[in-house]
Amino acid sequence: MKNKNIFQLRPKLNSQMKNKRGDLQISFSWIFAIVAGIFILVLSIYGVTKIIGIYQDQMSGKGAMSIKILTNPFESSFESAKRVLVDGGGEARIYTECSNYSVFGVQTVKTSQKVFNEWSEEDSVEVSMQNRYIFSKNPVEGRNFYVFSKPFEMPFKIADLIYITSTEDKYCFVDAPKDIEEELEYIIGEEPSANENFFVEERRANCPERSTIVCFRASETCDIFVSTTGKYVQKSGARMYYEGNALMYAAIFSEKQDYECQLDRLMKRTEQLFMLYKDKSDFVLEKSNCNSELDFELIEMINLLRDFSSSNEIITINRLAEEIENKNRYAECKLW
Amino acid sequence: MVKKLIENPKKTKQKKAQMKIQQMSFMLIAVFIFFALVGMVVVSVLLNNMQRDAISLKEENAMLLASRIANSPELSCGKVYDKERTNCIDLDKAMVLLKNKEKYKKFWGVASLEIIKTYPKLAQPNNEVECTPQNYPNCNLITLVNNSETPDRYSYVALCRKEIYKGESVNKCELGIIVVGYEGIQ
Repeated sequence: MKNKNIFQLRPKLNSQMKNKRGDLQISFSWIFAIVAGIFILVLSIYGVTKIIGIYQDQMSGKGAMSIKILTNPFESSFESAKRVLVDGGGEARIYTECSNYSVFGVQTVKTSQKVFNEWSEEDSVEVSMQNRYIFSKNPVEGRNFYVFSKPFEMPFKIADLIYITSTEDKYCFVDAPKDIEEELEYIIGEEPSANENFFVEERRANCPERSTIVCFRASETCDIFVSTTGKYVQKSGARMYYEGNALMYAAIFSEKQDYECQLDRLMKRTEQLFMLYKDKSDFVLEKSNCNSELDFELIEMINLLRDFSSSNEIITINRLAEEIENKNRYAECKLW
Repeated sequence: MVKKLIENPKKTKQKKAQMKIQQMSFMLIAVFIFFALVGMVVVSVLLNNMQRDAISLKEENAMLLASRIANSPELSCGKVYDKERTNCIDLDKAMVLLKNKEKYKKFWGVASLEIIKTYPKLAQPNNEVECTPQNYPNCNLITLVNNSETPDRYSYVALCRKEIYKGESVNKCELGIIVVGYEGIQ
C-alpha cells in the first residue's frame, strides 16, 4: 500500500514541474503586458498631471486677469470707499508686486488656487499694470476678499488707491478720530455681514479675538499705531509717513517695502501729471490766450518730485501742492 | 523522420506564442492610440474653452475701460469747465498728451486708444482729420495709442476745451466717442 502510494506521487510531481514550466511560459507574456501597461499608465498619469497644471495656470491667470478687470471701476471712478466682496472661488492667494524702475513703475498681480490641498505654482501667470496701485498683505489669503478704493490727491486727483483685505484678516480700529470712524462705518455699511473684517471700537477689550489692533493713541499697546498728529503709521518696527486718509489706509494694509515702492510710483505719476499741466499751461496760453500764471510753481514741484526718495518727504510735497492748489483755484485759467 | 516529428510540435507551439505576442502588441498599440485620441480631444476642448475665456475677459476689460478711461486724471476735465463732471475729456490736455504718446503707450494696457469728435461735424467732407498742434481744433481725431487692426469698444464722452470768442477765453464742449481697442487672440 505504502509502495503504491509512492509510485502514485511521481506523476503528481511530474505534472507540478510541467505546470511550473508552463507558468514560466505564460509569465513572459505577462511581463510584456505589465511593462506595456506600466508605460501606458505612466504616460497617462503624466498627461493628467500636465492637464491639471494647465488648468491650475488657467485658473490663476484668470484670477489675476479678473483682479485687473475688477479694479477697473475703482480706477477712474468718482465713487470712493465703496467696498465689494470678491469670491476667491475656493481658497486663494493674491500676490502683489511693485516695481518702480520705469516711468510709471509696474504693479504685478498673480493668484494661486488651492487644488487637491496644494497651492498652484508660484511662477504662475502674472498680470502687469502701470496705472494701478494695490495695497494689501503679501500674499493675502482667504476664500473671500474685500476690495475698496480711495482717491489720492496732490492737489488734483493722481490715482485711486486700491485696498484688498481677506475676510479672514480682522482689523479692529480702536478710538479712531471722528472722520476716520465715520468713514469706516460707511465702508462697513449699515448691516455688518457675517464676513465682516473691519471693527470700530472705543476700547481694545471689545475687539474680536486674533484681530489686528489699529490704535490711534500712543498709550495703547497695539499691532499698528497711527499718529494723526505726526502723520505716520508705525508697524512691525517700521515707520511710514502719509498725507491724507488714502495713504493712511495704504500704510495700514501693506508692508513698509511695498508702501514705499507704491508711493514712489505715485510720485512718478504725479511728476508726469505736473509736466502735463506745465505743457497744457503753455498750449492754452498760445491757443486761447488763457494764462494760468502757475509756471514757476509747477517747475518747482516737478523738481521736488524728481528727487523723491522716501515717505518722509511727502509732508514737504503736500505743503507745496496746497500752495499750488490755492493759486489754481483763483487763477484766470484753471489748469485742473 | 522521427526527429522531425519530435521537433514539429515545438515549432507550432513557438509560432502560437509569437502570434499571441503579436496579437497583444497590436491590442496594446490600439489601446494606446485610443487613449492618445481621447487625450487630444480633451486638450483641444480645454484649449478652446481657455481661448473663449481669454477673449471674453479682454472684451469685458475693454468695455469697462471705454466707460471709465475718460475719468482718468490724464484725460478728465477736472474742475476746469465750471464743475466736475463724469465722462468729460479735456481736449487741451489730450493734445498735450499727444506729445508724450510714447510714454503712455502701455500705461492703460490697451491695444489702441482714440478720441473722435462726432458732433458738430467738420466743415470738410473728409471723414477723419487727425489732430496736430497746427490744425487743432479744426480736426476730429486724436490717436493716443495707435493700432487700427484691433477689435474695439467705445463710449460717448463730452469733449471740452478753451476757445477765444469775441476776444475772450471761453469754455466749449462738444460730443465725441472714446474708442478702446483690445488685442484679439489668434
